[in-house]
Amino acid sequence: MLQLSLVWLLIGALIGLLTDVAQLRPATWMRLGWLLMMSIGAIAALCGGWLGIWFLGKFFATAMALWIAIAGVVVLPRGIRKRSQ
Amino acid sequence: MHDKVSNNVQQNLSTAKDEAATALISESSKRSGHKIVRPTLRIVLMLLCLIGFVLSVLPWGRAIARSALLLPALVAASQPAPLIANGETVVHKQMTVPSRSGTVYLDVYEPDAPIPLITSARSGVLIIPGAGDNRRVPQLINFSEALARTGLVVMDMLTPTLINYDLSAQDSDAVVQAFQKLAHLPGMEGRRIGIISFSAGVPLACFGSADVRIRDQVAYVAVFGGYFNTQSVLRAFGRRAIDIDGKTEHWQPTAVPILVLTNVITKAFSPDERLRIWKSLAPGGTPLTHTQIAQLSPGAQAAYQLLTGSAPDKVDANIAALPSTIQAELSKLSPSRVITQIRAPIFLLHDRNDSSLPVTESRDFAAALTRLHHQHDYVEFHIFDHVQVKSDLQLNQELTDGTRLFTILSELLFTVS
Repeated sequence: MLQLSLVWLLIGALIGLLTDVAQLRPATWMRLGWLLMMSIGAIAALCGGWLGIWFLGKFFATAMALWIAIAGVVVLPRGIRKRSQ
Repeated sequence: MHDKVSNNVQQNLSTAKDEAATALISESSKRSGHKIVRPTLRIVLMLLCLIGFVLSVLPWGRAIARSALLLPALVAASQPAPLIANGETVVHKQMTVPSRSGTVYLDVYEPDAPIPLITSARSGVLIIPGAGDNRRVPQLINFSEALARTGLVVMDMLTPTLINYDLSAQDSDAVVQAFQKLAHLPGMEGRRIGIISFSAGVPLACFGSADVRIRDQVAYVAVFGGYFNTQSVLRAFGRRAIDIDGKTEHWQPTAVPILVLTNVITKAFSPDERLRIWKSLAPGGTPLTHTQIAQLSPGAQAAYQLLTGSAPDKVDANIAALPSTIQAELSKLSPSRVITQIRAPIFLLHDRNDSSLPVTESRDFAAALTRLHHQHDYVEFHIFDHVQVKSDLQLNQELTDGTRLFTILSELLFTVS
């Protein structure tokens, strides 16, 4: 499970980076914004993976980690920005 | 002097112009590059999100995910690395249950993980592998483990009759007992269970899924390389030919189905006659001489000629000459007898060049299901040697039959996802 968790973290970080390159990062996050996006992606993927195991079993956990990571990096930064405003 | 200075100024100006133009061009190309990269990445992310969502949340998506990783395991007869890395850890247990026809031997392959909250993510499969003791056959173990890795609880069942290369309609109780045992395993209450059967296991799967005790709980019945009517199988064995696609084709059965059929149709004969026929048909056995055949009873002579294919013109007469108990047994062992009582959808799979049981049997089965408007699907392959994957496959064969196998696997798994 540790190995799989590391894979999810990696997938999430990669998705965070892709989201940053795709300029989906909030405009106000200038300095180290990319690192924040990668961290959000990694945490969202890890949470998604474990939710996947809990709800659907190990076989479907990676697919769950994938879409939750993407949804997380797109939705969470906007939520954080709105709260901080 | 003045001209020199003016020339220098002009030169500097043109260099500055060039640099500015280059910077502008690079900036605009950067922008146009961004214009392509940004939307492309956004589309890629959207697609990845959609694929992940579909494959994990939607039942048909889960069926596709399972099939996608099961297919290489089936075609290559070994589990691919992504399935091992991403799939469940599998535990193998052995157990037995009593039945009317004797002890049923069960091999359970199940995920070694807590039961997931969503019911449809964990379902069960009862596998009836056919005649002989197949428990250690690598392809069966590989198939069972691969299914279990996708989150299914797999139970392989075997009866003493099947171990002895024989068939008995009484074994339908063994199927019911095994099915109920699987349904009552920890965490399996209320989960959907299907039946997958191979070769001689096909009639048992049909009888079991037609049994009133479980027929409403069977999610699907998959029959691979089986038969529909015992008499028509015997006719193909006797003729050593099949009528297919409007022509008659030579058809030579292999040793195992001959052995099973010998056990089935010689039950009514004396032990001495049975032994003589059995010995002559066993691998390496010597065929009976005309004198030895003449010493057999008329029924045994007919059976011998049917099994050896030595009287292809007398097949119908020979079948009619079999003792009435055998005729009744043949009718009892035909899945065609119970077809109207099966409620579950039926998935038929058969290799076009199967030399154990003729492909025409599954075609007849499919035709009968079509006439009855019973939910079913039928797929023919070229990559199997009866029910095991051939080893020397060409890429185009793998692709064509792989696509067919993927489609039917997805359909089948959708019923339990």
